[in-house]
Amino acid sequence: MPRYLGLVAALVALVAIVFTVKLYFGASGPPASRLAGGGGPAMLAGAPAQSYPVKTLDGATAGLDRYRGSVVLVNLWASWCAPCRSETPALERLYRDERGKGFTVLGIDQGESTEAAGAFAKQMNLSYPILVDEDQRYGRAYAAIGLPTSLVVDRTGHIVRGIDGELTLAQMHEAVDPLLRARE
Amino acid sequence: MTFDMTTNRAVALASAVGGMLLVFAQDVYPAWSGFHAWQYTAALTLAAIAVVGYALGARKGTDGDVGTRIVIAAIGATVVIVAGIASGLLGPDTETVARTPGTVAPLPDVGAAGFFPVADPATIERGDAHVEIRRRDGSSVDIPPGARRFVGTTAIETTPEVAAYVEARQPNGSRLTITQPQNTSFLSPVLLFPERVPIGGVVFPADGFATPAIQRQIKAFYFSKAEVAKSTHGTPGKEAVLLAVDDENGKLIQSGIGIVPSGADATIGGIRFRVAAGTYPALLISAVPYPPALWIGGLLFVGGLAYAYSYARPVAA
Repeated sequence: MPRYLGLVAALVALVAIVFTVKLYFGASGPPASRLAGGGGPAMLAGAPAQSYPVKTLDGATAGLDRYRGSVVLVNLWASWCAPCRSETPALERLYRDERGKGFTVLGIDQGESTEAAGAFAKQMNLSYPILVDEDQRYGRAYAAIGLPTSLVVDRTGHIVRGIDGELTLAQMHEAVDPLLRARE
Repeated sequence: MTFDMTTNRAVALASAVGGMLLVFAQDVYPAWSGFHAWQYTAALTLAAIAVVGYALGARKGTDGDVGTRIVIAAIGATVVIVAGIASGLLGPDTETVARTPGTVAPLPDVGAAGFFPVADPATIERGDAHVEIRRRDGSSVDIPPGARRFVGTTAIETTPEVAAYVEARQPNGSRLTITQPQNTSFLSPVLLFPERVPIGGVVFPADGFATPAIQRQIKAFYFSKAEVAKSTHGTPGKEAVLLAVDDENGKLIQSGIGIVPSGADATIGGIRFRVAAGTYPALLISAVPYPPALWIGGLLFVGGLAYAYSYARPVAA
């Protein structure tokens, strides 16, 4: 057998073996911070914000993507949720104060009927847009581990922060003001 | 060439073929736990020792011209066998990853993420949801129900697992939020029945959820078509879910137990339920030998054998 044939075969074999073994030590997944499931909404920072078409209070269809280009404070809520009811006045105040700066609050009701969501919005005198997500798709996609859940979405449609639980007006400002100032 | 070397060559070739078959079996039955057992590694190691031991001697001409040429085939077999040992020893044990529709599961052993698609009631009933695997480089692999795909050093297949999409309404028709406080996906109306509970000698898939708007906790038990056929409840030919409605203290409420056939409505404990029962895919992830190593090793083995026996000089009389 020509000597070079054996050498070439041995070299190819060595490379294949080293590469194969190295693969088992080199496997690594996408950063966990970009994936939903088990970690709560805070783990979503940096991920693209999912958008699903759902009902609006007036019976039309819309999703989060309608607000691309604005800073959006997405708030997942339900009418039976006491902390959601408690934080609603602060959300309304924030919306009224900042809506002229390319900002909106987007309330997304989880799992209830349009009537229930509409009655709540009317009772609380809400003027910010409300979506009704009967199938709770946003809640799953945004890794909600309770209600309310809030997410700050930047103008490019990426999640900047995911927050579990009730927020005060000061905490809301702390979350969205840097993004609003970035435009000025 | 002696009788002993002919025997050694036969043993080496048999070890090579046997070892390679054991390695290729990982691609055929990747989920078998035996591939990660010490006995499997020991068998492959013995095969590799037989092959390499023969090749070291044959390289020096102890088995004549055929033996010298057959070294290439021995190298190919060794590559395949080492790939099998690496997969068995270093590859992760077989793992099942189940997630609710509309969520993403990190798959660090694959270097990818599994995207479990949003599923409506009809999708659950048909059981035809596809899972998408997205890798870091942006490429993606679509896995239909029951199919298997090879991604790097893993085999990923989808297995249909029982699931049910639940809708709950108040008597006036107003829809109720479904929550699953014990589940990783809190706001999911899709039950995946991770528990197994024996009832009357039969083991049923079980799960639980809540309707916090009216402070109810509901236990759910999945009835397959076979179980429905045996019982006096449900609709023959359709799966069903038995629901037991508890109050906030965990006490079964009056008229709080009943069976909801898939696709039908039923009022249990004052709640109108609608259930779509069927399946939703889970991922079964198993380690497999690195495919290029199998290709390279296999080609070297076949090519080496052909080279050895095609060009071997006839033995002089």
